[in-house]
Amino acid sequence: MSAGEFVSEVRGIAGRWIRKTLRRPPFLFFSLVQPIVWFVLFTAAFSKISDIPGFASSTGTTSYVTFFAGAVIIQTVLASAMQSGVGFVTDMESGFLDKLKVAPIHRSSILLGKLLSDGARILLQTAVILVLAFALGVGVATGLIGLFLLFGIALAFGIAWSGISTFIALTTRNSESTLMISLLTTFPLLFLSTAVMPKPLLSDRVQSIAVYNPITYIADGLHQLIIVPGLDWSVVGFAFLIIVAVGFVTLSATTVMFRRAVSA
Amino acid sequence: MTDNIIEVEDLVKVYDPDIRAVDKISFQLKRGEVFGFLGPNGAGKTTTIKVLTTLIRKTAGTAIVDGINVDEDPAAIRKIIGYAAQEVGIDDDLTGRENLRLQTVLYHTPKAEAEKRIAELLKAIDLEEAADRRAATYSGGMRKRLDLAMALIPQPKLLFLDEPTTGLDPQNRAAVWEYIQKLNEQGMTIFLTTQYMEEADRLADRLSIIDHGRIVAEGTPASLKASIGADVVSLSFKQNGQSNPRAAAKAALAGLGGIREIQEVDGGVAIYAQDAPALVPQIVLALNDAHLEIAELTLTHPTLDDVFMKFTGRKMRVEEVTPQRRTPWGARRRRAM
Repeated sequence: MSAGEFVSEVRGIAGRWIRKTLRRPPFLFFSLVQPIVWFVLFTAAFSKISDIPGFASSTGTTSYVTFFAGAVIIQTVLASAMQSGVGFVTDMESGFLDKLKVAPIHRSSILLGKLLSDGARILLQTAVILVLAFALGVGVATGLIGLFLLFGIALAFGIAWSGISTFIALTTRNSESTLMISLLTTFPLLFLSTAVMPKPLLSDRVQSIAVYNPITYIADGLHQLIIVPGLDWSVVGFAFLIIVAVGFVTLSATTVMFRRAVSA
Repeated sequence: MTDNIIEVEDLVKVYDPDIRAVDKISFQLKRGEVFGFLGPNGAGKTTTIKVLTTLIRKTAGTAIVDGINVDEDPAAIRKIIGYAAQEVGIDDDLTGRENLRLQTVLYHTPKAEAEKRIAELLKAIDLEEAADRRAATYSGGMRKRLDLAMALIPQPKLLFLDEPTTGLDPQNRAAVWEYIQKLNEQGMTIFLTTQYMEEADRLADRLSIIDHGRIVAEGTPASLKASIGADVVSLSFKQNGQSNPRAAAKAALAGLGGIREIQEVDGGVAIYAQDAPALVPQIVLALNDAHLEIAELTLTHPTLDDVFMKFTGRKMRVEEVTPQRRTPWGARRRRAM
């Protein structure tokens, strides 16, 4: 089996998932509307937070909308990644996975194609968020490179986190449990991080948890790129490092479960 | 290269916890033939196919496909087989054409060749008009035909069809039968499973009857029917106080000449006799004398139904197919288990 074959298999499988998403207008619509809802709802409710003493000095901006843009990216990626495992469950139930398994393909292209398609969806959602952010007057302080890195973080973070729901999906083989368990294991992390609130404003207890929460570092990276002019590689680089570490764990675990699922 | 494309010996598949789905079966498939596995639900047909198509691992025994041991090089086997599962594995969100196109990618069909093959298959399964509609809109028969076409994309040497016509109406069934025969005439070796006697009779050059994970009989449809060697008179009785009408019937008929065998079966007895029509009046009289009231009497020349009954003592029950449910949102299908 040649490398060219591998590439075309992955492309074919990723293309199938992307096409499936496009064929479900309600799903596509809501996955794009969702970040808008987050944005409007949260900034409307919490805009006064920026008046709290210490907000501007710790974040570098006086606008909660600007601060919150990074959190919207994280929320959207989390929500998207949460569902990515469900596709495997439906494929197992419908018998489509068996069809892929009897085909003379690299089995890894089944997993890789799926993850790449999730990545493509996350890029599209990130683009929608950024367009909306621009419309609300939020700029990216680090310019074009910063913009590029924002997409990079969203993509890598999304794929790493997709590993969690895929792992749960392959373990439980049930879509309801997959959604439920991924929801409970990801969303609390968002509120125990610096994504929605600058660190000095978090309660002491939450602060001490946030230090161990990978989402804190991803949020710090995004905030840095959006708010602070001049690229600070120490923060952004650390965000990438955290993503790679998390991705290594989630994707290794997923690969093990996936091997088990396809070798039966 | 031997004449056999499949050689299975003492194959065992045990699912945990301790379900012997396939229990030491042996059989061979000759190149170029249509071979059938006939048996009721849960007999072990699908399990056998899943072992041979490399989807699951066997517990014991040997299974060799086209000279390749299934344990040693499953990837090589995948290159030469086509497989249409019992449950249709198509993507509802894609059109028929897109389903086939994805399959050409998975089987590395050269691009120029791929579109040609897709067009030919769409024509062959009479799905040209619906080709660009989402598969979710297809009827059960169209789905089954599309699934068959997907299995044919690789132009396999060996085709596995797991209950290819289960759930189809008679018209679709006849069309699928005709197509399978045509494929076989073009040189394709076909392994099919079925719970329809008529299907096995019509399509299979040779067949094995499988029940509870064991092969109970094998041969050509004609030889299996001939093994009964006689007409069959099937009888059932009215409940009229006889505590054991079957035993009473056996006793009453014991004295009659010309009967080869009397077998107790579900709901009555089966009488095997060389010249049954001449014997029917005597049977009726004898039963009347024994105060047994006949509920039903049928006289048949041997069919595969009788073969199944003879070897298992049971009638084959064909279970009804649960209709598929669809929802307008995303049209996700629930599989009928």
